[in-house]
Amino acid sequence: MSLTEVSFASVVKSQFRYKVKAYLGVFVSLMILQLIAIIFSFNGVSSFGSGSDSFSVTVSRYSANMVITFTFLWAFITAILLTTRAYRYDDFSFVTNRLSGSLSTVLFLLFACAAAGISAMLSSFLLKNIIYFFFTDITLAGGLPQAAPGEFIIGTIATILYVILFSSAGYFIGTLVQLHRFFAVSVPGVIFGSLFIGDQSGLGNVIVWINEFLFSETSFFIFISKIIIFSGIFFVSSFYLLNRLEVRQ
Amino acid sequence: MSVIECKDVTKVYRNIAALKGVSFAIEENKITGVIGRNGAGKSTMLKILAGFLKETSGEVHVLSERPFNNLKVSANLIYVDDQMSLPTSLTLSDILECAGDFYRNWDKELANRLFDYFSFHPKQRHNNLSKGMKSTFNMIIGLAARCAVTIFDEPTIGMDEAVRKDFYRALLKDYIAYPRTILLSSHHLHEVEDLLEDVFIIKEGKTLLHVPLTDFKEMAIGLSGDLSIVNPLISDKEVYHLEENGIKRTYVVVENNFTEAELHEAKVKGVDVSPVSSSDLYVFLTNKTKGGIEDVFNRG
Repeated sequence: MSLTEVSFASVVKSQFRYKVKAYLGVFVSLMILQLIAIIFSFNGVSSFGSGSDSFSVTVSRYSANMVITFTFLWAFITAILLTTRAYRYDDFSFVTNRLSGSLSTVLFLLFACAAAGISAMLSSFLLKNIIYFFFTDITLAGGLPQAAPGEFIIGTIATILYVILFSSAGYFIGTLVQLHRFFAVSVPGVIFGSLFIGDQSGLGNVIVWINEFLFSETSFFIFISKIIIFSGIFFVSSFYLLNRLEVRQ
Repeated sequence: MSVIECKDVTKVYRNIAALKGVSFAIEENKITGVIGRNGAGKSTMLKILAGFLKETSGEVHVLSERPFNNLKVSANLIYVDDQMSLPTSLTLSDILECAGDFYRNWDKELANRLFDYFSFHPKQRHNNLSKGMKSTFNMIIGLAARCAVTIFDEPTIGMDEAVRKDFYRALLKDYIAYPRTILLSSHHLHEVEDLLEDVFIIKEGKTLLHVPLTDFKEMAIGLSGDLSIVNPLISDKEVYHLEENGIKRTYVVVENNFTEAELHEAKVKGVDVSPVSSSDLYVFLTNKTKGGIEDVFNRG
């Protein structure tokens, strides 16, 4: 039998195609989660009312923030899921090495995160439509892309980047758990612990620091760089750790 | 040219040694049976060759490369067993299509013909198949992939008698049409012996024997007769098996390097000389004690 030569890139490409087909369930769970979030958003994110004897006013704000938050959660959990044994072992039924397997998984994750970010942003229109037709008497809709297309695009890119950041964190944590079961207990411990460490106002509090560092960045360019560096570190260190892992012991 | 070469390969799983120094070389386009008892280290050895596991020490070369994390080896070697992990979200026909995307030599027509012959439904899912059906489906992938090195690790688990026969027949036919290096592991030597050119026996993590099957068949001889007559005959031979056979009678299996004259003399003295079937010999060779299970019950 003649030997075949394969290039790394062609294997990754085949694996990516294979994963888009095989991991379709990931998108189903995304849809379900976003629909649930839309239903939760019917209440509005804030509302206030005032009035007198003859009239009353209620102002409610509706936004897709809940959908976006749920999408972060989805990205985190999906990334952990893709590091589990069943998914990693699937690679090894066909042509693969460890790096091509992890790389194609991460490419799939990036693809899924982009789709998730876009659909999360677009869900705000669905929400506004539902509110307009079923819930309120008068709707003053704002935030339409026609009004500020630039902002909408920046918002979508930022959402996608956040989703990617969450998935990279999930991927890294999932990898640690695959390396040793010790991490399955200690990682949640550290995360919950860090909620309580330090001063609530910020000094020494990791959560506050992360919030300031990543979620309050005003320069879009610096924000993009920060996210790329952070998720890059997570993904690359996962590649390194997964590269030594044995399969099907 | 040796396609597979191993030198002093060991594998330790958390303090338990699964392989304790296995060395062998397998030549191109041969069908080799990897035979051994449960837990002898067959699967561990084969998984190291496939690059799933990393050897603890020693040298492993498949197609002149180290298999762990090697794309060239992965593209030219397929490892098939009953625990092949395939996505539950894909239908069987999707899986075959994906496999075709990965393997350059993939024979789509053969895959489809086997698929129909074994009456799979294209919309079935791999995780819903019965044990035997799973093994059969995996076997289809293994054959159609046409990899230069094809490893079947206990491929017939769960298959019924008819499918087993079909499988061995299909393997042989496809091998003749497209010769390649095939490793076939099994507990049942008698089932695969018609197929094999070489046998490679692993016992307790070590190479016990690696010889052509024809040599293996003639390696041993069985003698049964009176203790006082048989014992002197075998004093300088390697004894593979020893069993009491009635009062003061014994049945022994020893290495066969008797001359014609010696055998003739033994027969005259009243010793029964009989050939030993290869599967019996395999059992004797891989037994931990010379008497087998009998020793457990012989407390005297």
